[in-house]
Amino acid sequence: MIDTGVTLLRLLLGLSAIFCLGYALLTLLVPRPRDFTCLERAAFSFGVGVLALTLWMLALTWGGAPFGLAWILGPPLALAAALLLAPRGRRAIREDRRARRLRPRMALSGWDWLFLGLLAMVFLFALPRAALYPMWAWDAVATWGCKARIFFDTKALDLTCIDAHNYYPNLIPLLLSYLYFGLGQANDYLVNAIFPLWGALLLGLLFSLSTRLGLSRRFALGLTAFLALNGTVFIVHLYIAYADLPLAFFTLGGAALLYLWLADAAPRGSLPLAACFLASMAWCKYEGPPLAATLILAAALTLVWLRPAHWVRRLGQLTVPLAGLVVGYLPWRLFAMQQKLEIGADHIQGFYPHQMVQGIYYLLAGLVEPFYFGFLWPALALALVLAGKRLWRSPMLFLALFVGGNLVAIILAYAVAPTSAAEFPGYVRATLDRLLLHLTPVAALLLALGLKDLDPSPANDPGEGTQGLMVNSNLRPEI
Amino acid sequence: MTPAKTWRFWLVKLILGLWGLQVLWLFWHFGPEAADLAQRAARGNLGNAIRQEEPLYRWATALQVVIPESAAYVFLDDYAAGKEIEVRYYLTPRRHILLSPEVPAGFLFYALHQEHAAFLLIRESPKPLGPGAQAALHSPAFQPVKIPGPGLTFRVDHSRLRWGFYD
Repeated sequence: MIDTGVTLLRLLLGLSAIFCLGYALLTLLVPRPRDFTCLERAAFSFGVGVLALTLWMLALTWGGAPFGLAWILGPPLALAAALLLAPRGRRAIREDRRARRLRPRMALSGWDWLFLGLLAMVFLFALPRAALYPMWAWDAVATWGCKARIFFDTKALDLTCIDAHNYYPNLIPLLLSYLYFGLGQANDYLVNAIFPLWGALLLGLLFSLSTRLGLSRRFALGLTAFLALNGTVFIVHLYIAYADLPLAFFTLGGAALLYLWLADAAPRGSLPLAACFLASMAWCKYEGPPLAATLILAAALTLVWLRPAHWVRRLGQLTVPLAGLVVGYLPWRLFAMQQKLEIGADHIQGFYPHQMVQGIYYLLAGLVEPFYFGFLWPALALALVLAGKRLWRSPMLFLALFVGGNLVAIILAYAVAPTSAAEFPGYVRATLDRLLLHLTPVAALLLALGLKDLDPSPANDPGEGTQGLMVNSNLRPEI
Repeated sequence: MTPAKTWRFWLVKLILGLWGLQVLWLFWHFGPEAADLAQRAARGNLGNAIRQEEPLYRWATALQVVIPESAAYVFLDDYAAGKEIEVRYYLTPRRHILLSPEVPAGFLFYALHQEHAAFLLIRESPKPLGPGAQAALHSPAFQPVKIPGPGLTFRVDHSRLRWGFYD
């Protein structure tokens, strides 16, 4: 019993260190973290903390230092302490404390309780399902979890004993191995708790962003429950230890920050923060760099199409998220080249038109198949129709271009996939739900924008809106 | 409310109604898993105890004692069965080489010699043993190791497998 308590405490301390590091870096990236809501700060702190810690572990390997808690946590926490003791860090903490004292109580209505109850049920199932069962799903055992065990056993990012897509980025395996070091053992069930945590942060971020975009609290909660309880894919990914849910989280963060920036509603420091999320996308999964690149491309196309004031200068400002993508992509690529890791086993040999036709059919079927994502994608189609001209006359275009562009990219990827005719349906079945999961939170955000007009109690309506959730919002169009 | 707004609300209500039904279906879908979780929690049969129920895990745990961490082993199995990845997971950081159960003797012996593999593991299968595995059974370079489990274990003296003349 005491051992279990100590193990849980060590896990919580390990996670707290990530939040602490991320929050300290947030005070460096963002002039006033209070411009973001509490839920947004938690999600951004965790995302930035994970990115910094795992890149630091890659740097340790490069420098030849063996993994151990002292080396992994010592320098980053020293940096975090220095940042939090600096005037900007002290001010951020002071403002957080003051805001906590001033926060009014939230008055929840019947619908709020219903949506919160549904969300609570998801996590009452997913958290113990993740943290009490050992890793068992295919990719968790074959790739992410296996690498984490090796990194823990060898105390280095050592891939000499394994051949399991060694060129894949290592944010997840390094994070899991860090938690193993924190626990003092390769406990491959307790660390799975990080995945429902990631899911909760994703949903918290979606809720908070929805209220920021103008939805009432009730609509935002409903939308959050609509994402979480639509089909099986999201719930299953809360406990199977795959990298797809973290990638979906980073994609949502990056897309939302860029959208706010395009809509002139972003708090200061949003672009550097978006850059961190794009870096995390590239460092999280093999599909991350193209996803991040399409975010930048969609933002650029939106600026060119809408031509807002200073649009040329703003196009230049997109080099900030581009730099983030490079920071997330290049270190691992250089390391892989230095270690002579074979890169890109998915050899593209040609374009297969029949696979493209089949891919279109499977994609459309996947979008409307309730087993995957319930009615979320049909609801999005409806919302886009309802949005009308707003779709191409507002920054909403950015999210639509990103989602639509990536759906086309999925079809093209299937058209060049090197599989036999017999293997192809199985290949699609094994990948389509995960590829769509990367986009689904952004699709939910787009749904929020599309349905905004139908919300009878918008966010600025006192008593119904973001009471107690948005203490500050800075609408200055700055980076 | 304008007619246009009215049909919009009806459409939204239709989606919400379907969603409500779908939420009920989700409870039904995840019900068995939730029941299993509740039963295991009540019995305290969680974490590593779940793995102990699997013969493959017990076999791999016994192999951990026999195969040194610095050694390499060849595993004969179908990748699609998904068992090879589990064994590799349990036996890391030992170097793992997967070959098909149908591998010809020449290639199996070549791989064992070339990779300096110290062990050969053959997962049991309803299919008869392939030519490589059959040859291993009759070669003096392979010493059977008696470990109960869903597979055969052989200690390999790879220095006795001089490649180049098996085919």
